[in-house]
Amino acid sequence: MSDPKKLICHRCNRELELRKVDFSYLGHTFYTDLPCCPECGLVHISEELVRNRIAEVEMQLEDK
Amino acid sequence: MAFLHELVVDCLQFERAFCTAACPFCLDIRDFVGKLQQGRFNIAYKTYQQTVGFPGIVSTLCPEPCRLVCPMKDAGGAISLRLLERASMDFARTRIPDQFNMPWKPRRIAVVGGGISGLACALRLATRKYRVTVFERSDRIGGHLNGLIDPDLLREEIDRPFTHETYELKLNTDILSLDSLDWDAVYVATGSDGPDFGLALNPDGAFATNCPGIFMGGSRIGHDTVRAIADGLNAANAIERYLKIGSMNQPDEPQGTRLIPEAIRIIPGEAIQPGNGGTFSKDEAILEAKRCLRCTCDKCNFHSPLMSYFSKFPKRITEEVEVTLKPSSLDGHATLATRLMSTCMHCGLCKQVCPVDIDTGEFLLASHRAMRETGKMPWAFHEFFLRDMAFSNHDAALIQPPPKHTPCDRLFFPGCQLGASDPDLVIESYRFLLKYHPGTALMLQCCGAPADWGGDDPMHRAAIGSIRTAWEGLGRPTLIFACPMCRQMFAKYLPEIPDEFLYGLFEAEGITPGIRGGGGTVSVYDPCASRHEPHVQETIRNLARKAGFRLEPLFMERTMAECCSYGGHVAIAHPPYAEHAIRKRIGQNDHPYITYCSNCRDIFEKSGKRTYHILDVMFGRDVSGRVQPTVSERQTNRMHLKHRLLRDFWDVETMNAFETPLFLSDELKRKLDRDRILESDLKTVIDDCETTGRKLFDPVLNTFTGHKRIGNMTYWVEYRLKPGGAIEIVNGYCHRMRIEEPGHE
Repeated sequence: MSDPKKLICHRCNRELELRKVDFSYLGHTFYTDLPCCPECGLVHISEELVRNRIAEVEMQLEDK
Repeated sequence: MAFLHELVVDCLQFERAFCTAACPFCLDIRDFVGKLQQGRFNIAYKTYQQTVGFPGIVSTLCPEPCRLVCPMKDAGGAISLRLLERASMDFARTRIPDQFNMPWKPRRIAVVGGGISGLACALRLATRKYRVTVFERSDRIGGHLNGLIDPDLLREEIDRPFTHETYELKLNTDILSLDSLDWDAVYVATGSDGPDFGLALNPDGAFATNCPGIFMGGSRIGHDTVRAIADGLNAANAIERYLKIGSMNQPDEPQGTRLIPEAIRIIPGEAIQPGNGGTFSKDEAILEAKRCLRCTCDKCNFHSPLMSYFSKFPKRITEEVEVTLKPSSLDGHATLATRLMSTCMHCGLCKQVCPVDIDTGEFLLASHRAMRETGKMPWAFHEFFLRDMAFSNHDAALIQPPPKHTPCDRLFFPGCQLGASDPDLVIESYRFLLKYHPGTALMLQCCGAPADWGGDDPMHRAAIGSIRTAWEGLGRPTLIFACPMCRQMFAKYLPEIPDEFLYGLFEAEGITPGIRGGGGTVSVYDPCASRHEPHVQETIRNLARKAGFRLEPLFMERTMAECCSYGGHVAIAHPPYAEHAIRKRIGQNDHPYITYCSNCRDIFEKSGKRTYHILDVMFGRDVSGRVQPTVSERQTNRMHLKHRLLRDFWDVETMNAFETPLFLSDELKRKLDRDRILESDLKTVIDDCETTGRKLFDPVLNTFTGHKRIGNMTYWVEYRLKPGGAIEIVNGYCHRMRIEEPGHE
């Protein structure tokens, strides 16, 4: 991700920090560090990440 | 999936070419000519030499039975194999065979008769390092060939293949009884006038006699010269088999082929004549080789969009599907062919063109279902369309008896996508029907195709069941279709329902089309589901002509109709493939198309090809400024249609609950459409954010960001709250992976 936005959790009024986030798809599980609310854990995934790395991994798992 | 292997049993892909089947040596001419086509004379010669043993002799004497069966014989002249064989000899770097360093085998074989059949047997066995002794009663080898070929040349052609091989030759040795021979095996090739030692051929084994270890072939058993050479080579195989396993009852490999002329695409071309009158130059040989069709059945691969795009034949597809259904990987999760299974458009063209009726599409459909049952099919490939089907069969569904309590004798089933594309066409069609057939009821519902393609049996059964119930409730009327795909689905799953096409009624009532073609040229694009509907195909052409259009046939039409790419909903599973298919379909000519499937029309229009629906023509609709509806608009169109139909024909007002208070730029609408993101889903995410407060704030842009999982997709929306409660959507995107967030879905 380039130039991450400064986002604030609306409920906790806290700036997001990088935290480990778990994912699952088609029976596979994995994790990565993403901006999350340090209090409630609300995560943010940018469109750039969705369109590139996430789309790529999804396709790899579908063809595995 | 019991029919997994049965599917390809009849496939002709690996059948011998006609020429190979006719060749006494079963020379793999596809392979031989393929090498010549590339100018690889040396390797082509080796193929030839290893197959026939004595190339110089065979190419001189072969009567070329291949010419009689060559499909090119009536398309410019049969391929001249003799001259091509000659060219491989002339232009090979060397005609000396390769030398292989193999150990001697301890078994001893006697060959009785030094004619060409015996020598062929000796050559093959000596090459395999058996100890061979040839007994010849005269003072020279070659037998009857000495009268046919110059003796010096004959000797040279016989000796060359033996360059690196040794065998013992006993001339002037007349064998009077085989009992005197103490050998591991014997090949009797004593010629047409030679002794047979009282042997009889054993029909159960190749070249086998009624005596253990003794084989017989060549002119002695009535074969001509070329066949006698082939006998010698093949008898060597039988002898080796006997030496290894002691059995003589294995028949010769069956010759012939199941290939049929209909399987071959003939490309006519005049035969190349040798410039020097006798033999080919290198270039001439290559040109002649390139005329060869290298006959094989590739009809499915040539025509099927899936097989041609992926360069796969049915056998390969079944193998890949099998390892996907029964994963052989260590973790048991290998799903090699899931995308392939979801990339079939189910257009039926593969079965249509297959000379033996192999239905790979039906196989892929069944395998898709099996995969879904295992839970390993990526749902993302079909979920959007399954949700769309659920919308059609719930929110947008409508079943109404004929207006004004008229007894019901017909039921109009326009299909879900016609109304999604253009509600006016459904309304105008129904108005027309009521004018001539007031007893026509109406059903807005999906025919079940998305669930069928997606392998979702429970959903499919439910859809079919509800249609049947409604039809029975209306007194079993005749169905009137606008969509060939609906018609195809009904024919398959609801065959008891009588039906007809809307278009035939236009013709029957003598309706004049509203658009005047003015002699302009168009092509009728037959939807793939109309493949076996010649009547409606002709009706559409009649209506188009009546509108004043001049019709130019398409290369792929009628029984060869191709899918526009909508079938099977392949666009999500493999977008580049769908795009490739569309480009091919619309590139057939530069004229506008007239079609009778709203999906064909919408897909082609979206790609810039002017395409009329026949209903546009009939109702005189101006389509020049038409903008294709987005995926969201296709849903609101269906709701508008339901609302207007109820209001206009049954005087029923419904709440207009589908109006959305969202503001989006046109650019964002197009982007969401491209990604198949519904504005209603984004609204669901926003509602969740506003209710729970689970949202992120961007103080720079003054926007909120939130996400929510709907079905199996996670949707993200960036939005701004406007004064007065309005919402401006700034961005939306989605992904298939699930974020593991305990307590939040």
